[in-house]
Amino acid sequence: MEIHNELILIKNIIQGMQKAKKIVQIYPKNNPVYIKTLKDLSDQFNEFFQHSNLLQLHIAKNDILYDSESVYHDPEKHDNLALLFFKDGLRELTFKKGLTCKETEDFIKIIALDFERDIVEEDIVILFWEKDFDNIQYVVENSFLSEADDFEKEALNELQQEASGPDTLKEVYDEIFSEEDDDEKQEVILDITDKDLRLLLEELNNYALDKTEKYFNMLFELLSEAGKDHDYQDIINYFMAAISFSVKNGNLGAVTDVQEKLKQMIDDERTDEEIRKCAAKLLSFTGGYSIIELIGNMLNSGQEIEEKAFKRFFSLLEKDAILPFIKILGELKAMQARRLVIEALVYLGQKDISSIYSKLNDSKWYVVRNIVYILRKIGDIKTVPYLLKPLGHEDIRVRKEVIGTLGKLGGDKAVAALLECLKDPDMQVRKAALSALGNTGSAAAKKIIMEQISGRPFKEKSFDEKKLYFEALSRWKDEDVYAFLVKILAKKSFFITSKDYDNKACAAYGLGLIGRKEAVPLLNEYREISNKLLRNLHMLRFRG
Amino acid sequence: MAYSMDIENAGKAVEIINQLAIFLRTARIHNISNSAVIAATDKFVDLVNELIDLEHTIVIEIRGEYLYFNANRIRYCPEHLLNLDYLIREFKKIEIGTIIIHSKISPEHIRIFIELFLKSDQSEAPFEYMRKGMSGIFCIELKKIQDISEDNFDRKKIARKTYFNAVSSYKDMFQKVRSDEKINLKKAKRIITSVIGQIIEQEQILLGITTIKDYDEYTYYHSANVSILSVALGRRMGMNHKMLIDLGMVSLFHDLGKIKIPYEVLNKPAKLSESEWSIVKNHPKWGVKSILKMRSLDPLTMNAALVAFEHHMNIDHSGYPQIKHRGELDLFSRIVSIADQYDAMISKRVYTKYPMSPDKALRELMEKSGDKLDSLILKFFVNMVGLYPIGTLVVLNSRELGLVYENNQEALHRPRIMIISDNNGNWISGPVVDLKEKNGNSGYLRTIIKTMHPKQYNINLAEYFL
Ligand SMILES: [Fe+2]
Ligand SMILES: [Fe+2]
Repeated sequence: MEIHNELILIKNIIQGMQKAKKIVQIYPKNNPVYIKTLKDLSDQFNEFFQHSNLLQLHIAKNDILYDSESVYHDPEKHDNLALLFFKDGLRELTFKKGLTCKETEDFIKIIALDFERDIVEEDIVILFWEKDFDNIQYVVENSFLSEADDFEKEALNELQQEASGPDTLKEVYDEIFSEEDDDEKQEVILDITDKDLRLLLEELNNYALDKTEKYFNMLFELLSEAGKDHDYQDIINYFMAAISFSVKNGNLGAVTDVQEKLKQMIDDERTDEEIRKCAAKLLSFTGGYSIIELIGNMLNSGQEIEEKAFKRFFSLLEKDAILPFIKILGELKAMQARRLVIEALVYLGQKDISSIYSKLNDSKWYVVRNIVYILRKIGDIKTVPYLLKPLGHEDIRVRKEVIGTLGKLGGDKAVAALLECLKDPDMQVRKAALSALGNTGSAAAKKIIMEQISGRPFKEKSFDEKKLYFEALSRWKDEDVYAFLVKILAKKSFFITSKDYDNKACAAYGLGLIGRKEAVPLLNEYREISNKLLRNLHMLRFRG
Repeated sequence: MAYSMDIENAGKAVEIINQLAIFLRTARIHNISNSAVIAATDKFVDLVNELIDLEHTIVIEIRGEYLYFNANRIRYCPEHLLNLDYLIREFKKIEIGTIIIHSKISPEHIRIFIELFLKSDQSEAPFEYMRKGMSGIFCIELKKIQDISEDNFDRKKIARKTYFNAVSSYKDMFQKVRSDEKINLKKAKRIITSVIGQIIEQEQILLGITTIKDYDEYTYYHSANVSILSVALGRRMGMNHKMLIDLGMVSLFHDLGKIKIPYEVLNKPAKLSESEWSIVKNHPKWGVKSILKMRSLDPLTMNAALVAFEHHMNIDHSGYPQIKHRGELDLFSRIVSIADQYDAMISKRVYTKYPMSPDKALRELMEKSGDKLDSLILKFFVNMVGLYPIGTLVVLNSRELGLVYENNQEALHRPRIMIISDNNGNWISGPVVDLKEKNGNSGYLRTIIKTMHPKQYNINLAEYFL
């Protein structure tokens, strides 16, 4: 190929590398731009390899050279590809025909790392080396690593000064050969067999890069011996670091194992008092703000969380984890994450419901609503008095949540509170209250609704609201209600006002919802009073 | 597309080499007309002919401890370890260095090759015997193995540089740890990569350097040696590069806890008292603490802490520290234990007159095989350092003295020896002889009758190994 064309191809490849480096930094792996950019780079390589087997690049500080022609030049320090290679000692970089897409990607991923951050303990050469590429070779200049020349000289001097041997061994020669070695020279068979290799393979396959479990075991051993050196606090710190580390890495399983062991230690009466204290401290650490907040970060980052491990995790916590959990609950974005945390709080709340009550005063409306929801899930009837205050919350969403909860909790106090809500000027509140009353299923609630319907002011309500009353009432489906509805429907009066008409229609609707067969003839009889909507509705119920 | 074909070809290369090993091994055990041999041969021929169409020539070559296929190194991985090892050993025995296949071959060609291969043992000059037998077959060309001792001098210099560079930077690092500075391991990792590079290139030379034990600063040299021995062993076991770096780093810190042992105890030129001994026994735990103090927690730190904690435990938990819940020791700990004990035994220590000679140390380790040390790993270790490790001073039945210079993988008890004293007791330097050399038809020219410690007669190993 013409030299000129070759240089153009190579320049394209290097530009392609720079582009890919940036793209990989920005886009996730499955993004089409990411995929396309890498594909383009691979294609560029392939185009070059159609004419040549090797692409050998020489690296200078500000240049990349091919056959002593510069194919890349950048005098700047920042974002300089040549310098990136050069500063770690790379002097020659060779790509071989056969370079795979995977290798190209791995290569780009390495050069795209942010080496400026001090936590990165690798440099480009180490990472290349770890990858052990088949088709990327490189020459490294290592001398800048060593200031060891003097050291080597000194060491060699030291060795030279060690007396060299005697001038001759003649005098001792007979002595040397006289005594036989008493060790018998058994021919040891040390051939490595197929079986050995199988064992080895098993060992390497089972080799877990993650040593967390073993590491914790070690910490437990250290803890059980901590009495000797009185280094309890050190060991607690090691545990804490390891627990945080595990959570950060999404390894909740490791943490729950630790929690279980700690629990056992605490429960075991043979455990030394001092150690028991450490264990308790650590267990409470797992439910403390720092760990729970890490979990919050993890949930917010969209990282998958293993539900089973999470459930086990919170089931091993104590009540002091409640407030940290409430804190992160206010910060979680994803539904799924909130659901999990709520589940945790429902569980933990049963251990100390008063911590949950305390948060009913939170300034954020959505926290209050979540707390109310948690209390609903816990389902303790003693909660009702605590809900009276948020029942007057300025945010309607909170009020509705409270009303729903009162309906779920039931009891006289709840019913009384709901009755008050029926007077609320906000239709939404009244609607929620009716539905909640229905949900209580209590006789008191039923009585209240029937009284309301029979009461004089009922007539003045809108048709829609009336309908809600009947809807709520129809939840009971009992004789009482049936008779009550039939009575309204069949009520004879001299002239039917439009308000009566409303009531009859609603009663027909209620009967429809109850769905008793014997109501059918009656409903047919009063068909004409049912408007189209209602008829459709109740007919639907009786089908089949 | 040329591109994807190359990947396939790489897979085929391994397959071809594997088949080659299979039919040679099977033919050795059974005979040439065995159906398994024929099947393997046929498969080999098919694979070769298929690839010849694409690559035109196939070159299988031995360089050092590696096989190369058309200039590509065949990777060392456990699945192929046995067959690759077998081929390297067999070829070295016959002194075949390269097989070149120029064009399509037939099963008949290979049958002749196998026949010659099986009979070559009985020949004085096995390579020449084989080449002569194959001379009529133009599609297959054999080349004799290159003697690498010519360029040994330069290679030794490189190995030596790598070694001292490593020791020196570890020394810096340990001094930082001692003064409680946080350290970045980037440099140490770089050095490990260069050490592993040297191990891959010239394992035996580097291992030779680790046997020189005349330095005063035991700790740094010991750490460097344990690290080198551990990665060399890890490589023999087929670990990938990532694992090797981890192992190299982790083993480096195994004795970090010793910085807390008082100088007088650590360097006491006599037997330790009960209470002093109990101080020494704390170094695994102190090691954990020092490691955790020096670095924030990450997988490498965990790994290093574990190895520091377990390296004296023994697989039967007879060592120290004693623990309550005994599980299996970590693979790295089991490797480091062996490297550690071996290096400690053969090192010059203030409390011993002579260090143990390497072969005695090895024998002692083998006695612990299975109960205190992992027998499988130890087996790999012995295969690596040889029954007579490099640097062992041997007394030969030819009334010569020599130093073990290089191991013969295929005959661990017959290494290559540098003669340092002739049969009259005059110092000489070389030649390097092979104990596999035979005199005439039956016996060997030279055989080891015993080993001695160089220090016993003030022989300075450094003269020969640096
Ligand atoms: Fe130790
Ligand atoms: Fe040690």
